Amino acid sequence: MIEPVDPADLRLVFAAAAAIVLGGAGYAGLFAWARLKNRRRWLVGAYVCYAALAAAVLLLARTAHLDGAWQGVVVLMLVGYLLAPHGIWHLCAASHRLERGSRAPPGD
Amino acid sequence: MRTGIIDSANLNGGQQLAVKYFSVAVVLFLAQMLFGLLAAIQFIRPDFLYNVLDFSVNRMVHINAMVVWMLYGFVGAVYWLLEEESGTRIVGLGLGNLAFWVLTAAVAVVVVVYLLVQTGPGNDLTRWFVNEGREYLEAPRWADLGIVAVLGVFFYNVAATFSKGRWSGIAGVLTLDLVALAGLYGAGMFYLTNITADQYWWWWVIHLWVEATWEVLVGCIMAWGLMHVLGVRRRIVETWLYIEVALMFGSGILGLGHHYFWIGTPDYWFSIGGFFSALEPIPLVAMVVHSVYDAGVHKFKNGNHPALAWIIAHTFGNFLGAGVWGFMHTLPQINLYTHGTQWTASHGHLAFFGAYATINIAFFYIAVQTWRGNIWLGGGLAGGGWKWKWALALLNFGVIGMTVALLIAGYEQSFIERAVEGSTWGGYFAAQMHPWFQQAMAWRLVFGVVTLAGVLLLVWDLLTIGVGEMRRAPQLATEAG
Repeated sequence: MIEPVDPADLRLVFAAAAAIVLGGAGYAGLFAWARLKNRRRWLVGAYVCYAALAAAVLLLARTAHLDGAWQGVVVLMLVGYLLAPHGIWHLCAASHRLERGSRAPPGD
Repeated sequence: MRTGIIDSANLNGGQQLAVKYFSVAVVLFLAQMLFGLLAAIQFIRPDFLYNVLDFSVNRMVHINAMVVWMLYGFVGAVYWLLEEESGTRIVGLGLGNLAFWVLTAAVAVVVVVYLLVQTGPGNDLTRWFVNEGREYLEAPRWADLGIVAVLGVFFYNVAATFSKGRWSGIAGVLTLDLVALAGLYGAGMFYLTNITADQYWWWWVIHLWVEATWEVLVGCIMAWGLMHVLGVRRRIVETWLYIEVALMFGSGILGLGHHYFWIGTPDYWFSIGGFFSALEPIPLVAMVVHSVYDAGVHKFKNGNHPALAWIIAHTFGNFLGAGVWGFMHTLPQINLYTHGTQWTASHGHLAFFGAYATINIAFFYIAVQTWRGNIWLGGGLAGGGWKWKWALALLNFGVIGMTVALLIAGYEQSFIERAVEGSTWGGYFAAQMHPWFQQAMAWRLVFGVVTLAGVLLLVWDLLTIGVGEMRRAPQLATEAG
């Protein structure tokens, strides 16, 4: 059975859950932009977003009592959000390579 | 081809049928707004129209009008692209027209019954002729059967047209998705006396329509729209369509479990539902990566700025409404407090608008452009295109405002009714009477009026945009093929 959130932590939980997805989008967007423009500065920004995401995941895990098997979900979420933009980027590059006459995509 | 004026001779058979669907969709969109506003007023003044048009009826018509206008928009969009995508004339056009009139007449009768009859004795007569009593799927049984029959005709027309012409990746995904769309509706037609079993199957329609088949249908429509508006190459949109379908179905199907938390299903649904719900934002994050890529690789050269703007609104609305707002309350540890509060309504408003209304509106502009003779709707429109820009701004501002207001109301309900008062009736009324809740609902009404202003401006713009325009838009779809 699950242990619900402490009412005093409700606001933190909502904020953490939202920050996870927004952090994920920020990381994905900045990562894609950095690779597209070949700018390392943006890549640093992307990983700052990921760090914020990771902090939000840990906060959510603590306040929402994600214990036991739920910790597996936490680890999968962290690994998934870290790797997904890399995988999606390669899929982007591969699909657009067809359009660009087999030229290497930017940042690849 | 005549330009600058509405002329159905500019359209093929499927597109002429699509325009009928789009027209009814716009009328239902207005009905959704009207009944939503009435319900919003009744949150603040519960005696408003009491025993004339009760809150329960206004809310039901508001939600059902939304579901049906989305479906009209989707069906219209598929008929719109069918002949161009298949490369042949539509099969069963006469049957399609008949199905359109039957469906429209049925929708009109059902709405009139909702408004005038409203309730029945709660037996088979009520279920067959008044209201089936399943939230969001209130249509009486005869109308249920009619909807499945009309969707069957729609499926036949689509599959037969592609079979006669050419198949493509979009065609294949679309046809298979329509099987699921029509088939899943049957899951909401069982009559079961056990409320848990009834809710179990009911969720199959609600969740799997919205978070699986509708998302895939929108993916197909979006893929074709990107080729048509931006000239994106077919191989790219089809590759992405496959990826997104895999991610959407991979997370969406078992994400269904987050609806099972509180209906008496076994505990393992907590883990399954929670885990796959956490994965559901992934395809939406993937769309963000892809849109950033496309923004860099493609220049935004196009001849239909309103359609492109609404496609962009769709990308962000889908991510924020379905992704962020959805994930904030799908873990059972949180959902225990938020289930069935205004938090759900907040998520629903932004998700349905962002994921579905926006793409339908984009197709309305695509349709108007061709209907007026493939006219130029890019930069340099008469009046600077102020009407479509203001409609876009007011609609998005209004819906986001309603979303935030409902979020505040939902937070207050979660905190007071659920967490502090422990889900008692006393807690329910304490939350409803709380100033935070009432102020939030007042703001929801204000932003509802803003949204209505946006819809009225949108309708005005759709009726007038491109009047007298003689410049022609580039034929990007042909080049993309």
